[in-house]
Amino acid sequence: MGDRLTQLQDAADQLAQQFVACLHYVHKRHDLETLGPNDKVRDVKQEQNQKEVDPLPADEFRAGMVELSRDLIIKEQQIEVLISSLPGLDNSEKDQERYIKELEDDLKIAEAQRQEAIKEKDQILAELDTVIRSIRRP
Amino acid sequence: MADQQEANTLSSTFPNPPPFWKDFTPDKLARIEELKAAHTQQHGSDQAPTRIPDLPEELLNLQPPLEPADGRWRVFGDQYMLDDKLPTLEEQGIANLPSAAPTESKDVKHFDRALELKRLAKSLLLNFLELSGTLSRNPSHAEAKVQDLRTLFINFHHILNEYRPHQARESAIAMMQEHLDRTRTETMAIRTQVDKARRVLDGLGSLSVPEVPKPLGDADDEDWEAVALERESDAWAITDALFA
Repeated sequence: MGDRLTQLQDAADQLAQQFVACLHYVHKRHDLETLGPNDKVRDVKQEQNQKEVDPLPADEFRAGMVELSRDLIIKEQQIEVLISSLPGLDNSEKDQERYIKELEDDLKIAEAQRQEAIKEKDQILAELDTVIRSIRRP
Repeated sequence: MADQQEANTLSSTFPNPPPFWKDFTPDKLARIEELKAAHTQQHGSDQAPTRIPDLPEELLNLQPPLEPADGRWRVFGDQYMLDDKLPTLEEQGIANLPSAAPTESKDVKHFDRALELKRLAKSLLLNFLELSGTLSRNPSHAEAKVQDLRTLFINFHHILNEYRPHQARESAIAMMQEHLDRTRTETMAIRTQVDKARRVLDGLGSLSVPEVPKPLGDADDEDWEAVALERESDAWAITDALFA
């Protein structure tokens, strides 16, 4: 799982793949139809695995198309959600620079406080140590 | 291109190191250091120079080559530029769709970008619908639509890539914030522990005063108890004698 930008780019690529898959499905899985009452589907002799179309029953074909279209729309909506959740959309570059500066200062202060606290801790430890050492059994 | 590269990697193992690696002997390294020092003294600059002119022939391989004059370099069969910037869409010969809104100021830029991306995503879907419609009616006209889709996709990716520096800054901010929070909680934890330890110390200090004479008091108490017991048993003995 990459960052949001990478996810978005992957999603766009997947959308493109879905486009191709949809076209392929519609192109390959439909049944042959006649235009008029006098036409008839020619029986072209071909290899079994080189058929021009590999027809599905009409209702299944339709259901497949509906599912594929729904997937397309869902993917597009996912992309929009990802776009909306891109980090820092309302921050401009200047805001970011300001934030970074502030955080830097805060970090310095916090680090100083931490060092101070550690020093205090060491001191109290030493104190405790001397107390414990000075305890003797009465 | 990719296939070709793959074939190359399949047919050869790791390439040998460049032949001049043998020139880096300790002796020669020492000599070039001397030369560099002399050069620095002559020209009086603080930094050690990366390149010295007029090197003797056998030391020539010990200094890095000049930067490429045209700013391009190749590695693993790919071209790279010295200033590694994102090429604009126009440079790649692709129509820049959102170019209608040129970048006037930093503030407007990023908000527009999200809107632009959403527009592009919607356009992608619409164009696909148009493409499938065109294909069903007149497949020979579909080429233009496919080109449109291609342009849309490339534009989409381009905007995202332009967004990367922004995201990098954003992650930097998030990381700094996290570090700050962690440091603060750590400081807090240390402080509470220190306070606790201090209270224990204080408690010990106030306890240790009465603790010293206690053994004496304890002994007294025991005596008192023994005396009390004795007295009680005496009382019981007397009552027993009376009732008997």
